Amino acid sequence: MIKRIWKLRSTRKFFSNRLAVMALLIVAGYLAIALGTSVFGLVDLDATFARVGPKNVSGFFRVQEPEKQVEDVEYIFNRVDSALRRRDPKQALAEIQFGPQRLIDASPEEIKAIVERGWSYFDQLAESDDLNQDRAALPVIEQLKQTEQSLFAPLTSGQRWEQRINLVLGTDAQGRSIALRAIYSIEVAIKIGLVVAFFSVLIGSLLGTAAGFYGGWVDHAVTWAFTTFSSIPSLVLLVLLAYMFTGSTFEGTLFPMYIAFSATYWIGPCRVIRGETLKLRELEYVQAATALGYSRPYIVVRHILPNASHLMLINFSLLFIAAIKGEVILTYLGLGIKNGTSWGIMIEQSRPEVINGFFWQIGTATVLMFGLVLAFNILSDALQDAFDPKHV
Amino acid sequence: MTDSEPILKIEHLTTRFHTDRGVVQAVDDVSLELFAGETLGIVGESGCGKTVTSKSVMRLLPTHLSSFGAESRIEYRGMNLLGLSENQMRDIRGNQIAMIFQEPMTALNPVFTVGWQLDEALKYHTSLNRRERFDRSLEMLRMVDMPNPTRRLKEYPHQLSGGMRQRVMIAIALCCEPDILIADEPTTALDVTIQAQILRLMNDLKKRIGTAIVLITHDLGVVAQICDRVAVMYAGRVVEMATVHDLFHRPQHPYTRALLDSIPINDATHHGQRLPAIEGIVPSLFELPQGCRFHDRCKFCEDECRQTEPDLETTGSQQSVRCHFPLSELRS
Amino acid sequence: MWAYVFRKLIYNVPVYLTIVLLVMAALRVHDPVYSYLGKNAKPEDIVKYRELVGLDQPFLVQYTRFLTTFDLGTESWDQRGRTVGEILRTSVGPSLAITVPALLLTTLISICVGIISSYYRGRLVDRTLVVMAVLGMSVSFLVYIILGQYFGAYVLNRSLGRELFAIEGYEPGLANWTHYCLLPVLISVIVGMGYDTRYYRAVMVEESQRDYIVTALAKGASKRKVMFVHMLKNAMIPIVTRVAISLPFLIMGSILLESFFGIPGMGRTLIAAVRVKDFPVVQAFTAIFALVYIFTIILTDVLYALFDPRVRLS
Repeated sequence: MIKRIWKLRSTRKFFSNRLAVMALLIVAGYLAIALGTSVFGLVDLDATFARVGPKNVSGFFRVQEPEKQVEDVEYIFNRVDSALRRRDPKQALAEIQFGPQRLIDASPEEIKAIVERGWSYFDQLAESDDLNQDRAALPVIEQLKQTEQSLFAPLTSGQRWEQRINLVLGTDAQGRSIALRAIYSIEVAIKIGLVVAFFSVLIGSLLGTAAGFYGGWVDHAVTWAFTTFSSIPSLVLLVLLAYMFTGSTFEGTLFPMYIAFSATYWIGPCRVIRGETLKLRELEYVQAATALGYSRPYIVVRHILPNASHLMLINFSLLFIAAIKGEVILTYLGLGIKNGTSWGIMIEQSRPEVINGFFWQIGTATVLMFGLVLAFNILSDALQDAFDPKHV
Repeated sequence: MTDSEPILKIEHLTTRFHTDRGVVQAVDDVSLELFAGETLGIVGESGCGKTVTSKSVMRLLPTHLSSFGAESRIEYRGMNLLGLSENQMRDIRGNQIAMIFQEPMTALNPVFTVGWQLDEALKYHTSLNRRERFDRSLEMLRMVDMPNPTRRLKEYPHQLSGGMRQRVMIAIALCCEPDILIADEPTTALDVTIQAQILRLMNDLKKRIGTAIVLITHDLGVVAQICDRVAVMYAGRVVEMATVHDLFHRPQHPYTRALLDSIPINDATHHGQRLPAIEGIVPSLFELPQGCRFHDRCKFCEDECRQTEPDLETTGSQQSVRCHFPLSELRS
Repeated sequence: MWAYVFRKLIYNVPVYLTIVLLVMAALRVHDPVYSYLGKNAKPEDIVKYRELVGLDQPFLVQYTRFLTTFDLGTESWDQRGRTVGEILRTSVGPSLAITVPALLLTTLISICVGIISSYYRGRLVDRTLVVMAVLGMSVSFLVYIILGQYFGAYVLNRSLGRELFAIEGYEPGLANWTHYCLLPVLISVIVGMGYDTRYYRAVMVEESQRDYIVTALAKGASKRKVMFVHMLKNAMIPIVTRVAISLPFLIMGSILLESFFGIPGMGRTLIAAVRVKDFPVVQAFTAIFALVYIFTIILTDVLYALFDPRVRLS
């Protein structure tokens, strides 16, 4: 069967479109990453919640403004300080970790001394009006940073690479690695996209072919169903369903979204497939098959479905995109994923950061999402082009 | 019947299309003359360039994809139509040169009434007021033998039959009394009986209004009914020009001969015999054969035919043919 | 014609009834009172709230009552002292102030861009526009809002030294419209344009290949007349379809825009009500949204008939 598909004219047309092939490769890349995180644990969920550094560190290791640098160091020192005040300082100190970085193996007293030294630098800097402009402050800041460095145990080269990756795109407001979160979100997005698109197309196609082919009361029932469903604006339906699921065990997970999206999106494929089935039903070879006595389910599966499959494919890719974009919006509204990581969560949480001019989180999430959605847009366009010569 | 000077003179028309696969010459050095009041038929298979020729006259080809040869000239009333601006052409279209098309089903705009579409043509080219336009529209519908014209004016195209729609098209085309009417396969999409009516109508109107007609068709039966002179085209070139009588009784080009032969005859002698089709297919304009373009399908092909393309030569008072070995009475 | 309209209305009645039924059923899956009051509610409170919205009565009674009144007279559980009807009345205005201009602008601009794109089909202008549309569609609405708010209001205000566009908030009145509503409307237009332009372009290209175009040209019509009179009228049906399809997007868009820009419209009110489980408001608003949507569908069908004589006369 693969060979047969390979020989189709539309397959050739699709692959002759270089842009489409590139898009396909990009999508494959994303899928590979998603596979990597979900199956091979490339990035696990906990890693996306782990603190890897101070908050809102810029990406690409850009040098921060002096004021920010001091803030970051201040954060570290505060953290160490509060650990020192615990009942079991040694234990608390051992628990401090930023990514792979840990404190040096020293006694609490030694640590305390370093911290004291650090605070003295802070006192010096406190006199300055504007750390960003004060040239005289720079050497002090340098010494402050060195003091901070002395708190941490040296890293192996492997660990250094790990931390580099953690910080390459900066950290969010809770010091978590943006890079890791964005990568993990790929898995979430693809899961949502695949599941929703798959079930929507499945339900829509089954109902659509049944309606188109069997006609009669089946058709009436299906038509009534999708008229009714489509009369509720999708977002309202989603809101309703979210409301329905509140208080249940499923709240805040992906499951309500699967249901909500599928319930709204099945209509598109259903309409289209039904129309196509109606058209195909009148074609001669279907009538011939009926005349030959083939059973109706057989005709549907063997003759009608394969000829409507291109529509299913196109709808699949369109719905994939719709689901991903929808997740972002739902999560923002508080109706989507609550505990976890996704592009929606990242974008939602980036809002206060943007006010302060910090674009790394929203930028990363948007760019990654953009890549996937654009690739799928190109794909669906190319698919439509390949299957329908009159497509514009 | 023929005046001394033609009202339309197509000289060395070459029309090129710029496609993804290269430049193709749909019309290659075609020269034709149309005299006042006559009906000139242009015959040929699909793709031979007859429609492109007529659209070149009307300048209805997409401007950024098409171009004309340097020596091409279409002379009408002392002007070269190929050199006119778009504004000037718009004055001529529908007014002095009109065109009707093959598919009456789709050629009329489905969302406007018949009356509106007639009115539109009059609005563009005349200075009649609304009442006068209405009267004229009514008059035109009567002229094309439309039953119940007042009602028709308010109706939409889909409410009319194919024959009626074609009548409407003719009415629209003739409402400004053009000198020339180009009819591109006007009866191909109609039933045979309706076909006859429409052709008769066109003939009548030609006499009444004095319009010259260029009739494009692939159906020799239609040609026989109303044409005065005929040009036969093949692969973008004119291969034979003659009066209708000469064409049918003394065809000189093997292609013409073959076309005539391929008309099925249903009588005792021909019963049970194979239909004499022309072997081979029309060459693609991207891969024209060397020499005479028809040579690979010609029963009388000789070496010279394979090597050099013949020129169009006059062989009679109103006859010319493009062939190295034109058929004479003896050989046909 | 009127028979057609009447038929459409009648046909949609069962649809509406079903939707209201579904909405009401969906909201009662988890007892609304418990959802609102929490697990440790006092029994007297439970009974009180039940009575407030008639939850103690049989479902059929609730259903018929709701169908006719939408319980507009009930008091909101969250906003004390205000009835659902009052909340509805005050929130419709702001929503319309955003959605109507947005819809008009988006449609007008997209149609024009679509016509231009189809006229210059395949050439640079067209290709650029299409690429821009595809790129624009690949970014989340949310991002446009966040960035739009940041650059369009925050940054702009800072560089101008005064508040040109409000970051948040709303006040009624035409004079205040630019200050509060222009930015959200612009964002809505930019987002909607990507989709609409591609669609209208496809429609126009398809129309431009029809036979009647050549006939019109042969009559001596100018290209502009052909595009904006002949083609446009034929394209009205797909255009109207599109506008109808855009309407729910506007409702959704308004939900987001209202939330971000602090505009007290229907969308934001609904979301807020869902968050706090304000049952009467959620129920009424959802049903009304659905009702409005059905009306737009009927309106679409009626407009079809108006523009295409073939539909009208069948």
